[in-house]
Amino acid sequence: MIKVSHLRKEFELSRQQQKELNTSDKIALAVNDVSFECQAGKVYSLLGPNGAGKTTTLRMLSTILTPSSGEIEIAGIDAVKYPQEARKKIGFLTGSTGLYARLTPIEIIDYFAALYQVPNKERDERKKYLFHLLNMEDFLQKRIGKLSTGMKQKVSICRTMIHNPEVVIFDEPTSGLDVITAENIIKLIRDCKDQGKTVIFSSHIMSEVDLLCDDLAIIHKGSLKYQGSMTDFRQHMEATNLTEEFIRIVQR
Amino acid sequence: MIFTIFKKELIDTLRDKRTMRTMLLIPLLVFPIMLTLFVNVSSSFEKKASEEKIILGVWGDRSGKYWKQLDQMPKGLGEMATRSFEDTAKLKRAIENGEIQLGLIIPKNEDVLLRNKVTIPLTWLFDASEMGRQERAESYMKVMSDNAESVRLKELGVDAEKLHPLVPVYQNCASDKKMIGQLAGGILPYIFIAFGFIGCMYPAIDLFTGEKERGTIETLLTTPVSRWQILVGKMMVIVTSGMLAASCALLGLFVSIEFLDIVHNKEILDIVHGILTPMFILSMFSLLLPLVVFFAGVMIPIAVYAKSFKEAQSIITPLNFVMVLPAMIGFFPGIELNAITAAIPVVNIVLSTKELISGTLSVGYYAISLSIMLILATVSVLISYQQFGKESRILN
Repeated sequence: MIKVSHLRKEFELSRQQQKELNTSDKIALAVNDVSFECQAGKVYSLLGPNGAGKTTTLRMLSTILTPSSGEIEIAGIDAVKYPQEARKKIGFLTGSTGLYARLTPIEIIDYFAALYQVPNKERDERKKYLFHLLNMEDFLQKRIGKLSTGMKQKVSICRTMIHNPEVVIFDEPTSGLDVITAENIIKLIRDCKDQGKTVIFSSHIMSEVDLLCDDLAIIHKGSLKYQGSMTDFRQHMEATNLTEEFIRIVQR
Repeated sequence: MIFTIFKKELIDTLRDKRTMRTMLLIPLLVFPIMLTLFVNVSSSFEKKASEEKIILGVWGDRSGKYWKQLDQMPKGLGEMATRSFEDTAKLKRAIENGEIQLGLIIPKNEDVLLRNKVTIPLTWLFDASEMGRQERAESYMKVMSDNAESVRLKELGVDAEKLHPLVPVYQNCASDKKMIGQLAGGILPYIFIAFGFIGCMYPAIDLFTGEKERGTIETLLTTPVSRWQILVGKMMVIVTSGMLAASCALLGLFVSIEFLDIVHNKEILDIVHGILTPMFILSMFSLLLPLVVFFAGVMIPIAVYAKSFKEAQSIITPLNFVMVLPAMIGFFPGIELNAITAAIPVVNIVLSTKELISGTLSVGYYAISLSIMLILATVSVLISYQQFGKESRILN
């Protein structure tokens, strides 16, 4: 479960950034007073246009960034006070696969299993399960640099899930991927839900959100514009389709 | 956890061809190639210069005493033929045009001067930009001068020994080891510093800027490993790489001396073997390790700050000169390790290593040098940690 209350993130702007943004403000407010709750066994979607604050919010949830104020609870752990403890419960996946090109998939998986302190026996069982599930056996010994985007994405998924996290955070996971590779991610999100994990993912594609999520929040300019269940969203929408409703809320 | 990161980063680094080139291949090959080329080229030039048959243009009396002496020069001084010139201007022009290699002007009144027992000026003309010309002139002059001196002393009835009541005997009391330390000791720390720096450079950029560029740092930061552990694990790889590069350069130098027949003097070879004891290597590494840590500590904040590999490279490369320049102090004679120089970073390492080779390193100055470098290394690690902890620096 994820509980977020009154989350706020400010960034100090350098002179160059002030110039680029054409502002004299020394501070940029990326996330402002954001509160929500993601339940275990449900998929929560953070929807918003580019630059809305989705990635900053998810980076705070995954403890890469420290909030300026507010509270985050990950699987019962105060993630602001005890980030290292919280990270043990989190699996984090981004669309831009962050993998080491000179290592093989098996070396990467073993490396991350060691970083998550997964016991050897459990690691081997998880590896066996994930390699089979993702159909990875054929390219385990090849270097990442020689793999296709789809194969790399499978390695990323495997890396994210090797420690069997309770909470899975996906930051625009299908961004820039082809349909078949994106399908792997969608399947993974569903599997996580079925296994009772807490799943949160960010997206700017309404159709993807409609397909997967139980609850959603729409974020724009750092603030939440809407939050509720997907069913409520559909029932109370004023526009003719989901995408138009999303645009209407953002422009409100 | 630190070891897990170190192991992975080391494997990753060792698989990077660019790093392997700067870390192992270039340091290992640079000295064998450079020294072989240098020795072969310079010895072939020397040989060519000493074996070269030269034409000596002479302006003077062909039947005179000194011209005759020229025809009787020892063969060991190199082959030579003489050619007569009618005026000195033509003689000079012939040297400029390369028609002849040496010129000699003998006064026409040499007989009168000889009789009057006054000094006879012999003017040698040569092109100093040509290798070995001046040396050849000097060797001929020495033969002629020695002959003239002994004849004149005989004529005057003076015993050569009585002419010199005091004969200075200069005896060098410094051991051969100390001499080698002072003359060639500067090169060893210079090699280590230069290659230590280069060896650190690519891994530092790759492990920090590269990770930012590739987006792998984000995934690493979501693991339950502290930033401190990540930093230390990565830093250990950078330091290992720097030490490896420097060690490879030293190994290359040692192999060149040992197997490439560059040093012909057996005594010098024995001294080199005597210097390279395990204790010496251990002491040297103890001085150089904090220096390489300091290099890594200087590079990491830059690599963390830089947004791209290119930007990091453009900042770190000029820094190489700033760091390596003080290492040249070791080449200057007369600069010694004292309380002041022991407190100057890099310079203290160079001078300490030099004295270590000479066997004259004082424990006190060694301790000052080591302490200064350890303090600097610690400060640089703390600055690296501070920079690595900054969100704005670590995420592009």
